[in-house]
Amino acid sequence: MNAKRLAQLGLLTTISLIIFIIELRIPNIAPIPGMKLGLANIVTVYAVYRCTAKETALILFTRIIFGSIFAGSMLTLFFSLGGGILCLLGMLLLKRAIDVKHIWVCSILGAVLHNIGQIAVAAVVMRTAAVISYLPFLLISGCAAGLFTGICAQILVARIDLKDL
Amino acid sequence: MKNSRLWIAAAAAVFMAAVVWCVIILNKPEEETVTISQDGQILYTLDLSKESDRTITVEYEGRKNVIEIKEGRIHMLEADCPDHTCINTGWLEDLPIVCLPNKLVIEFVYKDSADGAAR
Repeated sequence: MNAKRLAQLGLLTTISLIIFIIELRIPNIAPIPGMKLGLANIVTVYAVYRCTAKETALILFTRIIFGSIFAGSMLTLFFSLGGGILCLLGMLLLKRAIDVKHIWVCSILGAVLHNIGQIAVAAVVMRTAAVISYLPFLLISGCAAGLFTGICAQILVARIDLKDL
Repeated sequence: MKNSRLWIAAAAAVFMAAVVWCVIILNKPEEETVTISQDGQILYTLDLSKESDRTITVEYEGRKNVIEIKEGRIHMLEADCPDHTCINTGWLEDLPIVCLPNKLVIEFVYKDSADGAAR
């Protein structure tokens, strides 16, 4: 990895962290644990389509680890990691089947996988299946948030190519 | 293009399934029996129709939650976690009240799922 590439990835990670921190200030609209806009994932979806799998994983995990430190809650780290890993693997596979004009679909399915991963980790950590009843509500909000972040990422992918920077 | 259509359909199917699932959860009949469990272990099993108004304090690793029972309903009155999601959930209705940091769950016990579906 050359210095230029490293700087670009650092920039992407920083942008997603800034979005993440700003989003922390937005109050929750519903008392559903784990419900969130996930705007920082605009960068993740962009990276899935414009960077290699390894680079995307680096950006995502750096964001999750630093994000949890800044948010001051280590417990959310596990939920985010569970969701993040499943979402990343799913989107990297879906990228092969979904072209750049339908990135929003990839993003929605990624959000769905993120919700499933989150709830799975929560069920294991809490040792109860009760949290599963939150899943359908998370899925609906996840589809909406995934659509929005996906459209944003699609516009960015069409307009910005890291090679031009 | 063909592939993308397939995945759009998949996303739509997931969304529809989630909506139907939500409706099912919100239409569950209310039960009388409630369990309070922590870290997978049931601490209390309460019959709300027979409980008098009182508060229950549950401690976990030095942190505490205060659960209030009032007029046959139950909710989280106080919690010293930072997010207060469990308090904001309000009275126990269709969704279990969950305190993630303290691993506390308050939920209805559904006697028989087949019975619930038949109603």
